[in-house]
Amino acid sequence: MTAVAAHAGGGLADHVHPEPQGFIRKYVFSIDHKIIGIQYMITAFLFMILGGMLAELIRIQLMKASGGLMTPDTYNEVYSVHGSTMVWLVIIPLLTGGFGNLIFPVQIGARDVAFPWLNMLSFWLFPPAGLMLYASFLMGAPTAGWTEYPPMSLQGAPGTSMWAAAIFLIGVSSTMTGINFLVTILKMRAPGMTFTRMPLFVWGQFVTAPLLMIATTALGAALAALFVQREFGVAFFDPTRGGSPLLWQHMFWFYSHPAVYIMILPAFGMISEILPTFSRKPIFGYKMIAFSSCAIAILGFMVWAHHMFTSGLAPALQLPFMVLTMLIAIPTGVKIFSWVTTLWGGVIHMTTAMLFAIGFLATFTLGGITGVFLAAVPFDLHAHGTYFIVAHLHYVLVGGSLMGILAGLFYWYPKMSGRLMNERLGKWAFWLFFIGFNGTFLPMHWLGMWGQPRRVAMYDPQFQAWNQVCSYFSFVMTAALILILVNALWSMRNGKRSGPNPWNARTLEWQIPSPMPYYNFKHVPSVFAAPYDFAEPLPYRGLEEELTGVPPPVPAAH
Amino acid sequence: MAVASVTHGGYAPGMTEEPDQLYGETRELRIQGFLLFMVSDLVLFSSFIFAYLYLRNSGQGWPAGGPKLDIALASVNSIVLFGSGATMHFALENWKHRNFTKFANWIVMTIILGAGFLSGQVLEYMHIGARWSSGIFGASFYTLTGMHGLHVFAGIIYLTVLLLQAAQGKYTFTKYTGLTLGTLYWHFVDVIWVVLFSIFYLL
Repeated sequence: MTAVAAHAGGGLADHVHPEPQGFIRKYVFSIDHKIIGIQYMITAFLFMILGGMLAELIRIQLMKASGGLMTPDTYNEVYSVHGSTMVWLVIIPLLTGGFGNLIFPVQIGARDVAFPWLNMLSFWLFPPAGLMLYASFLMGAPTAGWTEYPPMSLQGAPGTSMWAAAIFLIGVSSTMTGINFLVTILKMRAPGMTFTRMPLFVWGQFVTAPLLMIATTALGAALAALFVQREFGVAFFDPTRGGSPLLWQHMFWFYSHPAVYIMILPAFGMISEILPTFSRKPIFGYKMIAFSSCAIAILGFMVWAHHMFTSGLAPALQLPFMVLTMLIAIPTGVKIFSWVTTLWGGVIHMTTAMLFAIGFLATFTLGGITGVFLAAVPFDLHAHGTYFIVAHLHYVLVGGSLMGILAGLFYWYPKMSGRLMNERLGKWAFWLFFIGFNGTFLPMHWLGMWGQPRRVAMYDPQFQAWNQVCSYFSFVMTAALILILVNALWSMRNGKRSGPNPWNARTLEWQIPSPMPYYNFKHVPSVFAAPYDFAEPLPYRGLEEELTGVPPPVPAAH
Repeated sequence: MAVASVTHGGYAPGMTEEPDQLYGETRELRIQGFLLFMVSDLVLFSSFIFAYLYLRNSGQGWPAGGPKLDIALASVNSIVLFGSGATMHFALENWKHRNFTKFANWIVMTIILGAGFLSGQVLEYMHIGARWSSGIFGASFYTLTGMHGLHVFAGIIYLTVLLLQAAQGKYTFTKYTGLTLGTLYWHFVDVIWVVLFSIFYLL
């Protein structure tokens, strides 16, 4: 393939329309991947405020062993909607629809995703789905946790059906996003952007997209079955009529275990961008990081039943699921090793983004290790119904995914706004967040080992002191998140102007102006090496005009 | 490789292949996107097929001796549906050979056969007597065949729209991605039926 051919065209890469001018077409029903990405982020952060308020309600309730704030029924509603919000309306949309949309098309040198119109449709299914979920409070919200196991979910208030419909809708949106991203990465890479030259964030999205596409549809089936069982009495999960509550668990976890990787693989990608940039060193083991993502995604489809060890799974099935689950620790370990080795001997710049990335390394590793504990059947039987699970999942989802998101927010904020976020405020927020987060969830490990059951509105008085510690630290964490929000809003107008490349990063999105222009590139660039060799000149051709505005000299005719 | 434009080399404005290259790349994207849509649709069916097999083998309450399914009716019905797959194939082939009249005839034939299949399904539903909510057989059978029936119904509408669009000149004899996608969809619905027929009538 000749790299020069980038300017030849008449193909899709050169097929451009004028930028829309009206407010509605430009900012509301936009088909520009960057605007859609920002729309996703704003919506998801709004839902994060709601979900965070529910989380604080939980922590206030648990400050007293006898409860005191809410009735147990209300408590059940609150933690169920908290979990559903954070998984489906915050973490997944932020990582895929939000940062995915905003960044990866630019990183592969494309001007938009493959199906911009479908992208807009994906986004516009998301706010209604979220509103439906919260509207379920009006008719009695779901009370069986974010997993909604039957038979409890069959007896739940009418809002449970609303929950199923809302999550189905957001699932349709995710599926379309997955298809869109996969086709974009397969077909729309710039000339020379081979698979092993793709930035690792693109690899993260590339591996996540099929998970979104396949696993989410399976969840859709489970939700549809739950919905028709509740509304039309179709006997899928009703044991009195031959149905099986276990069937729900199989169908649900066949989605929801891969969903765990939907929530972490893009964050892995972000970390893999941020660590080399701020240690000024090529990423260690590029191919191993990329391939281990694939391994995690494939293994992720074969381990769902490890969530069901206490549900009465046949013993013959427990062992393979346990072994397969433990195998996932190997590709994950490969990544952690590569990241630490990237830092080793690097010239480390402690920016806020880097602090969050290093914080991610620490907390995610802890969460990953407790994951290996829980994969072991004997330990899981002991810990499954306790706060140990709550600690584990928050270490991977808050300490992993959310830390990645916050790192990404500080890192890519200039690409959205043209301005930097305030570093001083950012560092304060990081330390508050890091301390608050660990203070909240670390004690839950031993609370769980001592036997405090999860998902219960009251508990034995002996656990009260540590629960209060958790609650106080959770206020610190909330304060940190508010600080970050204020920082993001303030910096939109008052932040320092960033210029195109404030971090001296090497991937393509930093080689064009900030904020990124409509259609991203004046000319689609060609690529002749992987992006991480900090000692080398940039591996792109055809970008001369992006920053200078002067077109490159016309090569002599051949 | 990533973008097919590269293999074609340069072009000068006004050269005739310009729109064709755009068309070729867009066609590739759309077909790939559509294939992936079918994959995720297949997962939807697979989930319910898994649910059916799981419930059937969980040993509680599956109708002893099997429900009274009419395998003769279903076989005739299957032949009707597969026949419609063949007629759809002929329709697209005739389009490629630039024969609009034959294309239109074959696609109308496909629509009629599809409608015939749906009528057969209605007969089968009336014959079985079980209801959707009357136990795990009803749950599995009506959910899966009902979903498939909805796909056939959607397909009939889809093909009708394609026929009208083609009559209005939306597709040319060299640019007909929409027709290709319609054909893919129709064959997909056929293939799903093979699986459903096997697991409900033969298993």
